[in-house]
Amino acid sequence: MNKSDTVIRYIAFSFSLALYLTLLPIILSYSLGYHIDFHKFIIYKTGILSLRSTPSGASIYIDGKLIPDVTPARIEELRPGTYSVEVKKEGLFPWQKDLTVRSNMVTRAENILLFPILQMTEKVSDRETDDFFIPDDRSQIYYMTKTGLYKSNIDGANPRKLSSYSSWPSDILGKKLSPDGKKILYFNENGIWVIYLNDLRLIANGNAAEVEEVLKSSNIIKDVFWHSGSNHIVFVAGRDIDILEIGKGGGKNIVTLNKCRRQPKGLYYDIYNDSLYFNDSPDGKSVLYRIDLREKLFEKFMERIRKEFDIIYDQK
Amino acid sequence: MTRSERLRRFFEIVPGFMTWSTILGLIIFSIFKPLWVAVFIICFDLYWVIRVGYFTTLLVFAYRRLNMEKKTDWIKKCKSLEGRGMLSYDSVYHAVLFPSYKEGPEVLTSSINALLDSNYDKKKMIVALAVEERAGDACWENAKGLQKKFSDKFFEFIITRHPDGLKGEAKTKGANATWGAAIIKEFIDSKKIDYEHVVMSCFDADTCAEKEYFACLTYHYITNPKRTRSSYQPIPVYNNNIWYARSIARVIELGSSFMQMIETMRLEKFVTFSSHSMSFKTLVDVGYWPVDMISDDSVIYWKCFLYFDGDYSVIPMYVTVSLDVATEKAIIPTIIKQYKQKRRWAWGVENFPYLMMGFVKNKNIPLLKKIRRGFHLFESHYTWAVWAIIVTFIAPLPLIFGGGIFRQTTMGYSLPSVAAALFRITTLTLFICMLMSIKLLPPRPKDVKRQKKLVMFTQWILAPLLAAFVGSTPAIDAQTRLMLGKYMHFQVTEKIRHGVTTN
Repeated sequence: MNKSDTVIRYIAFSFSLALYLTLLPIILSYSLGYHIDFHKFIIYKTGILSLRSTPSGASIYIDGKLIPDVTPARIEELRPGTYSVEVKKEGLFPWQKDLTVRSNMVTRAENILLFPILQMTEKVSDRETDDFFIPDDRSQIYYMTKTGLYKSNIDGANPRKLSSYSSWPSDILGKKLSPDGKKILYFNENGIWVIYLNDLRLIANGNAAEVEEVLKSSNIIKDVFWHSGSNHIVFVAGRDIDILEIGKGGGKNIVTLNKCRRQPKGLYYDIYNDSLYFNDSPDGKSVLYRIDLREKLFEKFMERIRKEFDIIYDQK
Repeated sequence: MTRSERLRRFFEIVPGFMTWSTILGLIIFSIFKPLWVAVFIICFDLYWVIRVGYFTTLLVFAYRRLNMEKKTDWIKKCKSLEGRGMLSYDSVYHAVLFPSYKEGPEVLTSSINALLDSNYDKKKMIVALAVEERAGDACWENAKGLQKKFSDKFFEFIITRHPDGLKGEAKTKGANATWGAAIIKEFIDSKKIDYEHVVMSCFDADTCAEKEYFACLTYHYITNPKRTRSSYQPIPVYNNNIWYARSIARVIELGSSFMQMIETMRLEKFVTFSSHSMSFKTLVDVGYWPVDMISDDSVIYWKCFLYFDGDYSVIPMYVTVSLDVATEKAIIPTIIKQYKQKRRWAWGVENFPYLMMGFVKNKNIPLLKKIRRGFHLFESHYTWAVWAIIVTFIAPLPLIFGGGIFRQTTMGYSLPSVAAALFRITTLTLFICMLMSIKLLPPRPKDVKRQKKLVMFTQWILAPLLAAFVGSTPAIDAQTRLMLGKYMHFQVTEKIRHGVTTN
């Protein structure tokens, strides 16, 4: 190694060392949230404001003052305190919040959703519709109209009349598609109806759907659920938890599974385990209960009921 | 266990212990004190990026020097020294020793042909092929065939057969080289040549020396007033089979070449590596290579350093010797082969207890020198073992273990972006490596497609991935073995030349 190489090496080494010693305090203080004011030779604690909006590219105003960054942005070296933060973009509703910045901490507002001022409202169908139902899989729209029951694709295309039934109750509380996708139930405080959806390919003529009122109740119906087998409906009417076996024509089997002391306030049906969760207070203290309605247990239970009915019928 | 053995074990444990303490300590602190670890990571990342920048600068200057010296007519320079009271260049003999194991004749032939292509007087060259007895009769027959073929081309062509299982020896290259060197000594004695007039080059079997190598070596040798207190280190490049090697292997080996070029600029830390040369007198004085250590290339330097009470150095020579890239036909075997080779190199950590024990016994080396050289040796192995682990695997741990609270702090929020910004700077180094690797390439063989040159350029995108996975692990492996007393045996790297595999 000649002398010039030695000199180069020592210069490179000294420069690297000096660079390290200079950059390290700057990078560390920046990362730790300290700001060095080189003019006043003071160090003070700061915080970071992280803003992220949908759509991005929105202007940011802090205490009414426009800052050069647009979202997504990290606004650094803010002294601790509360700031009025506004996020604005043309054609969108502005977003505003008072955000508190704490020293050495990050205040995040990263789920800012800016809604358009001019909403895009689109007509799906021209048909006069009293009510409608869209199953969770969003494959169809069912229209309950004064001229009957119709269905179309989710975008309104390919409409088709399913039934001429038009006596829809005015105060429907809920609509639910059966797990097998072949029935829809709807209910109000006094009754439950089931729409049987027949396979359109099999029915050349006549109605592609039939509507049946499966229950008229004197007690107020609070909620209705499909059993996973799609042939039974679990419902809560008044203080009773009942189960109803459905089927076209004939009588309906209704069994009261539980008589609560008060009408349950909370209800949840776990369709994967066929269990109904409800709260009741038989001893004055309201606690959570569960009724297990799994197929095997349920079948045994129904069999017993039928037998008892037969015995009663024979006796009669 | 004697006190000396206990002390040696202690020094064997130190590197592995420090490496594992660092790794485990950082993991544990990431759980309990993520902020501390984050601060450490920023300090380390910045140190690493500046170190890379510093090394890149040295690499550029070393490359510039290599290019400049390529144009030198070393024979002419040697001749110009005649009559200046220096050692006459034509009185210098070169003994070239090739310790080999199962390398086939095609590997050795190309290495010997490179000697024939040299512009130095071949009648001043003593070539010795040192074969291992345990390699079998076929290897011995090959050696005899080579002797027959080349004996009249050099001053002397010696073949030696190192017996297996000699007392006090391990199965190492150093043992074979020592056996071969002792036989060379007998020949030199018979010719009554002054040992100081003989320069010994101990080459790996696949080493092809550049045309100017021996002239350059002679120049440095005769002009060096402390010629017997120095080793002479060329720059190893892995060009023999580079056009046929896998990209992964090429990137790793080119990285090694670059590292060696950088080392030529850091003389106070410079240690012999792979194929190199030294005075035969020195070799005889120190009693040849240790016969029970794997890292013969570097340990011979430390042996000389201790023997001459610290007055021993390595002179860099800006000429190249070309070696084989350790490669295989498939990717996974190539990675395994590279891993094993790097682990063998990392086993150079065995030099640390060797040096420390030497320091304990040697009272003539100044304490400051002992501390400096001991620290350099330790630091190089320690950094090798921890850097990739810290940069790649430890760096995200504070964020993982620190949880929501840490992520909510400015440090937790800034750490990924600061680290990313720092390492973005190193892409410049990657670009320089890309350019340099193209410049160092040998001419493209006719059977290699033109597009391969593009691959030679783009292969460097593999560098960060390779650094992450094979950057530190071979060193950790080697240090752990040494720490646990599970000593490694010498593993010969299989050579592949254009589809031909030899051991």
